[in-house]
Amino acid sequence: MSSIIEVKNLSFAYNQESILNDLSFDVTSGQFLTIAGPNGAGKTTLLNLICGILNPAGGFVKIDGCNVKSYSIKKLAQKVAVVRQEFVPPFDFTVEETVMMARAPYLGAFGFESKADEEIAALALEMTETIRFARRPLAHLSGGERQRVFIARALAQNTPILLLDEPTSFLDMKHQTGIYDLLKKLQLEKGKTIVAVTHDINLAAQYCDKVLLLGADNYHIGKPGDVFTTELLEKTFGVRIFAVNFGQEKFFIPSGKLAKPAGPNRTTSFIPDS
Amino acid sequence: MSNTLTIRKLTKRVVICLAILAAVMCLCCLTGTQKISLEKVFAGPGKTAGENIDYEILIGVRLPRVVLAALVGAALACSGVVLQAVLRNPLADPYILGISSGAGLGVIIAIISGISGTFLGGSPIAISAFAGAIITVWLVWYIGHFTGKSQVTNLLLAGVVVNAFFGAVIMFLTSIAKSEQVYSTIFWLMGNITEKNPPVLWVSAICIFAGIVSLFSICYRLNAMTFGEQEAQGLGIDINKTKLFAFGWTAFITAVAVSLSGLIGFVGLIIPHAVRLVLGPDHRQLLPISAIFGSIFLVAADTLARTIVAPAQLPVGVITAIAGGPFFLALLAGYSRKVGWLK
Repeated sequence: MSSIIEVKNLSFAYNQESILNDLSFDVTSGQFLTIAGPNGAGKTTLLNLICGILNPAGGFVKIDGCNVKSYSIKKLAQKVAVVRQEFVPPFDFTVEETVMMARAPYLGAFGFESKADEEIAALALEMTETIRFARRPLAHLSGGERQRVFIARALAQNTPILLLDEPTSFLDMKHQTGIYDLLKKLQLEKGKTIVAVTHDINLAAQYCDKVLLLGADNYHIGKPGDVFTTELLEKTFGVRIFAVNFGQEKFFIPSGKLAKPAGPNRTTSFIPDS
Repeated sequence: MSNTLTIRKLTKRVVICLAILAAVMCLCCLTGTQKISLEKVFAGPGKTAGENIDYEILIGVRLPRVVLAALVGAALACSGVVLQAVLRNPLADPYILGISSGAGLGVIIAIISGISGTFLGGSPIAISAFAGAIITVWLVWYIGHFTGKSQVTNLLLAGVVVNAFFGAVIMFLTSIAKSEQVYSTIFWLMGNITEKNPPVLWVSAICIFAGIVSLFSICYRLNAMTFGEQEAQGLGIDINKTKLFAFGWTAFITAVAVSLSGLIGFVGLIIPHAVRLVLGPDHRQLLPISAIFGSIFLVAADTLARTIVAPAQLPVGVITAIAGGPFFLALLAGYSRKVGWLK
């Protein structure tokens, strides 16, 4: 499998303050990568470097074998779709109007969608189960519904790569799993390459193929089971962490200084009732 | 999805609105202190000047004025639509980036210094208003960019500060001016449509029409830009190019409008909102329909302004504010359940 995203010796700094330093990894086509790490480690910055909004101070990002900066803005939008932390515009666009905007990179001079564009948007609405509130204004939706709409829009953009910045923050448990199920479905059925920044490592680990753990001055890349270990997580986040085994999976629970003590052993085995 | 905007649907709506505009313009041409018989008008101008007074009043006086009002209304409403989108601010109007104070300053300097002569048929007042407007917008744009790379907040702040500063200079100049100079300045500042000769109308019509068509071509980009600049770039839109294009053309057509008619308030703010309330925020529809309704509104307001206290005339800016304010509030109350940002 060829790598669709290639990051090589990537560095970035805001006003001489180094955020990313000599970062290298790659993502193969159709892979699901999770980026985790403490606040300020540069997760969103990395996302912005991959989608070409920021310019690297050193190194490069390649999409489909070509440097991100060599793409025109329009061409890049045909390769990479981004779902950001949700922003509701001051004017009341409906769900279908919002999703239709995804066709902007493919439109001609005056920007009217064709029948084909409409069908692509309708398909995206259907896949994300947002079609039943397609006529409602964005502002009238719940946070979880709105997040699905923005994923629908990214889907209608018809790009091989989907970037998501904390897609499940502010969502309840049901909607969190709903979003991850949807992303997994897009990966498996549509062959999308998915890169998601998240704080919810337990949830992400159940879905992703590869993990990038981004610390303040180091990083680890690999399979979820190899990177998400008590030792690495404690070092990266600087907090005490308990690991709980549940079947094949390992779950991590952070514990603050004043939290209730959770047993004598830091690693406990949970035996489900039979 | 039958609810989406297609070219056919848009064309149909634009044609209907244009028909309304034509009807309103005809009606307003026929309204006035002097009764006009259409029969006489159709008889033609006659062989010697003054032979057919009805024709001369309609074609020579009222029609140019109605056309002028339509042009100014369209330009202001369009600028309002575009600036509200690019600045992502429902309170934006065509004057927000300092055009009003810049043009006002230009005008008061022209009036006080008493310069004369014409250019492309424009009076010194019109020319200096245009120059003042363009220079000020450029200044605001420059300051806004100098202080922060792409922050619209800086641009808005620069506009507000420049407006306040030039406003103070205008006050100062007004206070040292002679009383008849003050009178014409104030009339201009209130927004005043007067008869203009055909060359001026032609030039401005071409400028404003070119501006509206150009701005229409970036409407689908404006849709995406209301979601934020990074979002828009993610959708394949060159935000810097689009912003420069949008600000350049809105400044240009607003400056043309201002140089024709002074500072007519309210049109650029309420027409876009009113159209948006009824037809939704899609800019590909919002821009042309707002342009047409801006025309309709200003033509009607100007007809009121020249008839309501006849034979005297009111500045049209007074009418737009007095009639537009309550009209807009009523519309807002009626549709407020549909509008998200009010909550």
